[in-house]
Amino acid sequence: MTHHDRGSAAPDAVRTVGSHRVTRRNVLRWSAVAGGATGVLGAGAWGLQSLVPSADAGVLVGKEKMVWSACNVNCGSRCPVRLAVVDGTIVRVDPDNTGDDNLGTQTILACVRGRSIRQRIYSAERLKTPMKRVGPRGSGKWEEISWDEAFTTIAKTLTRLIDKHGNESIYINYGTGVLGATLATSWPPSGSAIARLMNCIGGSLNQYNDYSAANIETAVDFHYGAWATSNSNDDTVNSRLVLLFGNNPHETRMSGGGEVFVTQTAKRLSGHRVIVFDPRYSDTAMNLADEWVPLRPGTDAALVAGFAHVMISEDLLDHDFLDTYCSGFNEAQMPKGVPADLSYQSYVLGKGKDRTEKTPEWASRITGVPADDIRRLAREIATTKPVAITQGWGIQRHSNGENQARAPMLLANMIGAVGISGGGTGCREGYAALPMAAFPVLKNPVRPVLPFFRWTEAIVRGKGMTYREGIRDSLNTNSNANVTNDVTLNSNIKFIWLYGSNALVNQHGDINETVKILSDDTKCEMIVCIDNQMTVSARYADIILPDVTTAEQVDLSAQQSAGNLGYAIFADKAIEPMYDSMPVYEQLTGIADKLGVKDTFTEGRSQEDWIRWLVDESRKAVPGLPTFEAFRKQGIYKTKLDPVIALKEFRDNPAKFPLPTPSGKIEIFSSNLYAMSLDWPMEKGNVITPTPEYVATREMPGDPLQERFPLQCIAHHFKGRTHSSYGNSPWLKEAHPQTAWVSEIDASTRGIKDGDTVKVFNARGAMALPAHVTKRIAPGVISVPNGAWYTPDNPGGLDRGGSINVLTSLHPTSYAKANGQHSNLVQIEKV
Amino acid sequence: MLTETPLVIFTILAQMSAGSFVVLGLIHLAYARTNAATMDRVSDPALYAIGPILVLGLIASAFHLGSPMRAANALRHLDSSWLSREILAGLVFAALGGAFALCQSRKWLPARARQALAIVVAISGLVLVFCIGRVYTLRTVPAWDTSYTMVRFYTTTFLLGSLAVGAALVVASLVRTRRGGEDAASALLILNSLRGIAVGCVVMLGVKFVVQQSYLSGLANNQTPAARESVDILTNTHGGFSLAQAILTFAGLAILGIFLAQLSRGKVGHRAVVGVAMSAFSLILVGEVIGRMLFYASMVRIGL
Amino acid sequence: MTTFKQLGFYIDQANCTGCKACQTACNDKHDLPVGVKWRRVAEYAGGSTERNESDGTFRANVFSYYTSISCSHCEDPICVEVCPTQAMHKGDNGIVSIDPKVCIGCRYCEMACPYSAPQFNAALGVMTKCDFCADFLAQDRAPACVAACPSRVLDYGEVEDLRRKYGTENGLEPLPDPNITRPNLVIRPHKDAQASGRGTGAIANPREI
Repeated sequence: MTHHDRGSAAPDAVRTVGSHRVTRRNVLRWSAVAGGATGVLGAGAWGLQSLVPSADAGVLVGKEKMVWSACNVNCGSRCPVRLAVVDGTIVRVDPDNTGDDNLGTQTILACVRGRSIRQRIYSAERLKTPMKRVGPRGSGKWEEISWDEAFTTIAKTLTRLIDKHGNESIYINYGTGVLGATLATSWPPSGSAIARLMNCIGGSLNQYNDYSAANIETAVDFHYGAWATSNSNDDTVNSRLVLLFGNNPHETRMSGGGEVFVTQTAKRLSGHRVIVFDPRYSDTAMNLADEWVPLRPGTDAALVAGFAHVMISEDLLDHDFLDTYCSGFNEAQMPKGVPADLSYQSYVLGKGKDRTEKTPEWASRITGVPADDIRRLAREIATTKPVAITQGWGIQRHSNGENQARAPMLLANMIGAVGISGGGTGCREGYAALPMAAFPVLKNPVRPVLPFFRWTEAIVRGKGMTYREGIRDSLNTNSNANVTNDVTLNSNIKFIWLYGSNALVNQHGDINETVKILSDDTKCEMIVCIDNQMTVSARYADIILPDVTTAEQVDLSAQQSAGNLGYAIFADKAIEPMYDSMPVYEQLTGIADKLGVKDTFTEGRSQEDWIRWLVDESRKAVPGLPTFEAFRKQGIYKTKLDPVIALKEFRDNPAKFPLPTPSGKIEIFSSNLYAMSLDWPMEKGNVITPTPEYVATREMPGDPLQERFPLQCIAHHFKGRTHSSYGNSPWLKEAHPQTAWVSEIDASTRGIKDGDTVKVFNARGAMALPAHVTKRIAPGVISVPNGAWYTPDNPGGLDRGGSINVLTSLHPTSYAKANGQHSNLVQIEKV
Repeated sequence: MLTETPLVIFTILAQMSAGSFVVLGLIHLAYARTNAATMDRVSDPALYAIGPILVLGLIASAFHLGSPMRAANALRHLDSSWLSREILAGLVFAALGGAFALCQSRKWLPARARQALAIVVAISGLVLVFCIGRVYTLRTVPAWDTSYTMVRFYTTTFLLGSLAVGAALVVASLVRTRRGGEDAASALLILNSLRGIAVGCVVMLGVKFVVQQSYLSGLANNQTPAARESVDILTNTHGGFSLAQAILTFAGLAILGIFLAQLSRGKVGHRAVVGVAMSAFSLILVGEVIGRMLFYASMVRIGL
Repeated sequence: MTTFKQLGFYIDQANCTGCKACQTACNDKHDLPVGVKWRRVAEYAGGSTERNESDGTFRANVFSYYTSISCSHCEDPICVEVCPTQAMHKGDNGIVSIDPKVCIGCRYCEMACPYSAPQFNAALGVMTKCDFCADFLAQDRAPACVAACPSRVLDYGEVEDLRRKYGTENGLEPLPDPNITRPNLVIRPHKDAQASGRGTGAIANPREI
């Protein structure tokens, strides 16, 4: 019986190990059920098909035990799922059955991904037993080992590497495969149980920012002083106009209790007009938009500059707001000691360094949006009140991402929309949330903090990296505090923890280059993967520790974005750990024991003890939260909260509540960025501008590279996966197959028809996948949905899985030192 | 193109069987003055070939079923399902045809009664073709929901029926010649039959060609997406097969035309007759099979 | 247990995001293998994008909307009409059902149904289809798809009640002319919805349905 049957992706030894385990161990119990379902699932029930047990026996009244659990992935929503369990096997998923259809009290209906969670739990690619690599890294050759051997090897290697290279050589990679859990959470890495273990033995190299939003995370510090959101979407019931810059909740935050529900309901209640700016006619545009404005990826800042030109020349600006709350929009508002003509207005009017007026015509050539539309839209935006402006994070995942992120903020500033009901800051939508307690991770004494995207570089040349390469000081990681600092990274990365993470290979930039760096196991000497699936990244680990899924352990799931609904989920244990898997907390307890820090690590608590502790802690801040026992029975706790009006205090009383920027105001001209522009060395093509100018950096429209690779390739977040999570579910692959979106215009010139297999390629890599020829994408743009599992013909060869990161770059953005994974020039051809 | 292969085989063979039986009857009628023994000697081998071909078709149809062991259930819905009626008609035709073949071989029943039975068998064959036609005249499939479906099936019936009979006659004659048992009367009957078959086929191919053009233009004028897609399948996706079918049919037509022209000028050699009968049958059979595959490939339903 | 004269489905095209939670909830409820989809979601799209070759700008005039459809449990079910075995029948509550012990898997209903409701299960050798979650109905629970929809675009009930509540629209692209089978279906149109048979667009995801 073959349990791993994924062609080239399946490591040989796993097959034997897997079957060995399955016949030997605890699986007989439910394999009988799965066997009973083979008639339904077909002969491949144990192979290509998922191991979804149970025939359609209907509702087994009285026999079913309903257990509350959660879908813990990084979509930005968080859904409860109710698992129907019969004889230790999950036979069905039911949705939340509490609440109603009103804002703030809504039922939280899981999306397509959560509804397929049984195919994640009973996946054919479940990791079943501890394994160590026996061939070269990535060769897929494994040998089964005991838990004890695994713990001993890891503890010994950690001790040796820390002795030799210091705690800075140990790195917990970014991973969001278990985001949403509390004790078992994988993100942020510094808040995970692994961080707690490392902090028991002197800490580890931490990171700041993340693949989702790194450019805005850095840029917003300079603009608004610290992390800021916009208003929560439920507040758009008070808006007359809603602008969405690449914001696409209907394909990302898809929960029926989250932003899909909130945006639909708010629009229905208010009748506000919605304009979507996006290269794709997204499902959000399809459902919500009264107008779709397609534009070239990475050019939002040029569009805003065009808007600004209209608003300046037609005197449509909110002067009061700019004078009172902002710094550096015009020359009169500039900080002292800065040369003339560096204000944003000077940039727009052509008085800056480039001596180019940012007329609507100028903007139209860059963005593709006709100049007349820019004029009309600018007038509408400036003369309608209130206007809610939010951005999705796609617009800032570009090589010029920091300025991209700031452009919608600037637009919100020019019309004075900040801090008022119905308005917003131009950042991502906020949400009201219960202050649930986090798992305590102790203190990490390691000072240097790595920009999360540079870990591959830090494997090769981390030693000696300073603030000028983005190293921050753990004492204060705010961008404004790290314009300069005095910490230096003193070691390369020698050990990587990979927990619930597919960012070692699949979700990182430039897969082919990354794999090359990883293949040298004298550099990063050990990679330990804790996961429940044989992910693409797991293939490149040295030791694999099989994790359980959320359904196999008890935990709490804190809420995510759901407008003004506050909630928390008691994610109870529905079934016993499958195969020889073990919850991460137990695994780390075993390693802590070998390291001699078991008591410090556990404080004598079991996982359930910790959950009890976390409920008690949370009840201090959330008085309505039931007790542990009551919460366990109830499964979900909900309470209606107030809408978020971001920066309201500042708007109401700027003198009393100044922003944490150097000026205390919104820094349209950032004095810290100005200082950095004089001090920080820049990678090729990078530039720091103190105001959110449009910069045509690497692989933007107009790049000479377009002669070879004329198309801009983005990677929209996909309904069939959350990043790469759920990417191996047969139901989801059927419902939402991986394709390359190509406009009809670009397809016809290349003789490509819908469904044709095409090759998408650039100098970094190539993939083959079916084309989706569509009217729903701007000409000159293609999109390969993010997160498909890398499945190369051979190492470095053509990727049949359609993983976008064979095309992306490791090149960091200018000052966030982050990912610009949507800035990819490519060519596409029929194969 | 390889869609519904069992149904391609079943419908082609069933129609060829029905057509063959009718054509044999027509030969009997047309050359009624021929000595009965000669007639039987010439036509019986062809008659006995029909049964196995029909049975082969029915067996092929079972391969289309997901649950062939329950195939008998197909007869449960005669009051509204043309598929039920088709299966019943197929069984009736097979049973009556078998009975007739048995009577003919054993010389049971008087000749008149056998003739009456033969007429009933022929009618049941034509009813079977009618039922097949109705099965596919589905109101949700524009490419099928036209009178051309019925015309298509009946032309197939008579084309393949007559050419199969022609081929069977010459093959049987060849066997008898080898054994030294062929007589001049039989040879003449076969030649005359082939002349009639050739004339009939040329006329039918002409009719078919004209009707097919009006079908295609009608389909092209149908604005439903399903019809447009069917046209696209016939002209673009499988345009090569459409062309191949036309070429094969015209080649068959040309051979028959040359044969008739030669006949009008005088005698045609024995080997040439065999060649004409076999090649025309083969070419047009392959053409019809491709046509039937195209028929199934062009199936695009309205709606989803 | 509530009984119905004739059950029907309601779909709100305007708010359907095409996420297919309905389809997956159905798969999960009925343990459907890949290739068998009792509920499907079709995308209908049209319009055009004009590119100005002189300055490289473009302006889009496109539309697109989703329609979630399982079985319309029609008044004149063509699947029942053409089924040679009577396995396909109209049963309790007006639900069109298939008896898997009678079905021979001839797939003629699949050819005929303009909603693609009957779905062939190759492993079982028979047709299968939406049974309206009859076991859920017996407990007065909503069908899995209806209960699942994150955008609350699905509803079900006595079809006359649905029509009173939501209107009588049931003939929108890409669905067929409702006169063919008289579906027990009520649709709230998307703003760009087009009438059946008079559409200017096309199904954009034919391989997914």
